[in-house]
Amino acid sequence: MILLLEAAASSSPDREAVVTSEGTSTYGELLEDARRVATALRRQGITRFAVVERDAGWVLRLLAGAALSGAEPCQYQPDTDATEFADHASMLDHKFVVSRREDLTGAFEVIRPETLVTVDADSTLRSDEDAEQPLMIRTTGTTGLPKAARHDWRILGKTVAGVRPMPEQRWLLAYGPQQFAGVQVLLHVAASQATLVAPFPRQPRDGLDALLTKGVTCVSATPTFWRFLLAEARSRRVTLPPLEQITLGGEASPGDLLEEIQTTFPGAKVSQVYASTEFGSITSVRDGKPGLAVDSLWSEDHPTSNVRVSDGELWVRAGAGMLGYAEESSTAAGESADAHGTGDVEGEWRRTGDLVEIVDDRVMFRGRKSEVINVGGVKVHPLPVEDRITGLGTVALARVFGRPSKLTGAIVAAEIVPVDGVERADVEAIRAQIKEAVADLPRAWQPRSVTFVDAIETKGGKTIRGMEH
Amino acid sequence: MGTDQEKARTVIGDFLQRIDKGADGWTDETELWGEGIGLDSLEAAELSAMLEDEFGSDPFSAGADLPEKVGDVLAFYSPVST
Repeated sequence: MILLLEAAASSSPDREAVVTSEGTSTYGELLEDARRVATALRRQGITRFAVVERDAGWVLRLLAGAALSGAEPCQYQPDTDATEFADHASMLDHKFVVSRREDLTGAFEVIRPETLVTVDADSTLRSDEDAEQPLMIRTTGTTGLPKAARHDWRILGKTVAGVRPMPEQRWLLAYGPQQFAGVQVLLHVAASQATLVAPFPRQPRDGLDALLTKGVTCVSATPTFWRFLLAEARSRRVTLPPLEQITLGGEASPGDLLEEIQTTFPGAKVSQVYASTEFGSITSVRDGKPGLAVDSLWSEDHPTSNVRVSDGELWVRAGAGMLGYAEESSTAAGESADAHGTGDVEGEWRRTGDLVEIVDDRVMFRGRKSEVINVGGVKVHPLPVEDRITGLGTVALARVFGRPSKLTGAIVAAEIVPVDGVERADVEAIRAQIKEAVADLPRAWQPRSVTFVDAIETKGGKTIRGMEH
Repeated sequence: MGTDQEKARTVIGDFLQRIDKGADGWTDETELWGEGIGLDSLEAAELSAMLEDEFGSDPFSAGADLPEKVGDVLAFYSPVST
């Protein structure tokens, strides 16, 4: 991160690096402040710290400063509950917390970020490509408690080694910068010496505002984020500006959503990225179709591929993956995938927990292993059911999940956001459409509980499926 | 404002319509299973969920014995004598 920032600041110090709700910073300003942060961290003897900060400008200063000083930052969701934060900070032994929040108390010292940029930068501090540049990234915790993965900027930086400067690009930060995908966006923007547009909050409606008013040209977001953003745009009856690049990740991209994105933004290049906090960025698809191409899988004829399918599950070998989970040595990284339930390890290959099915020439995602709903002994994958429902013209958004039932263990349940809103929608007509849309699925797969809601809850920009408790 | 039993009767009627087993032609004495309405486990789970959504509890989840007749479901929502 610091090396990319130095390159961008050297090339164009006055170029806008980041635009947030709090203001705009140039690459020169970011680098200068990063050097001050590094100096302050060194002087205070801080080698690892937590970050609870909502403004992406501050986040960039802190991450780059930490990389220069060799300290390990670990971001938390900026609006995380104070009690929950204290517990997690204790578990990860964070003695220092950089934050502007006033309500964080616990067995740690809170340092305001402004105080880290008041010192004069130590002119002897130099970035060193060979020195460790640690970074801890916590998982979203969509399917359980968040885990903390140890990374190194030098390894993560390899994924953007081939990125050329594209200073005219303006990337929307739709992910939290504390998420792995958010870190990827920060890296990509710095490597391309482009501008990061980072509103806060980062809800789809805020993203839509940024598209309409901040000259955004590129967006990286989850399919769920896109569904919400497009629904919001339809509701407001606004004309969306053209985009140059759209990147989808974090979840499987349904075919109907890909079609809608391509129709709405006909000039945009659309990429789907397969990545995770643990495995790093593994592969990407640019053909506009859902799933992966079968011929992109590992085989004797394609030995360089990092992806293969075994027993209906996707296996990968890490490209720019983590060094290990918190408290583990780097050499234990291989075993850690097993120890933390992500699955078995076979040599350099690891289970991902993503269930897939080969349909003709595509590898189609069927959902996470942890999302499978057991309906009277029948295993139901929520994603294909959800795809049927979201394909209906009257449905803006849908979430399919498992609802406990004493009679069958679970039933398939669906929450529906109608295009016309709950008040105006003909919900009985939509119920009938849903029934017809899933009629050819096995009976256990058909939703037995359909409720109509104004909004669907997400976590880290992803739809929460699996069993409700 | 109807009683809970009247509301439960409406929920059962809506449910039977949704599963295409007719909103009419049933009485309190109609059997839920077999030769009566002929519910299977998935349909019963659906009715259980609908009743739970309406009342917060339902007779299929509450006790050890499943209701046998429509009237058993309605009885679950009968006013409590004090």
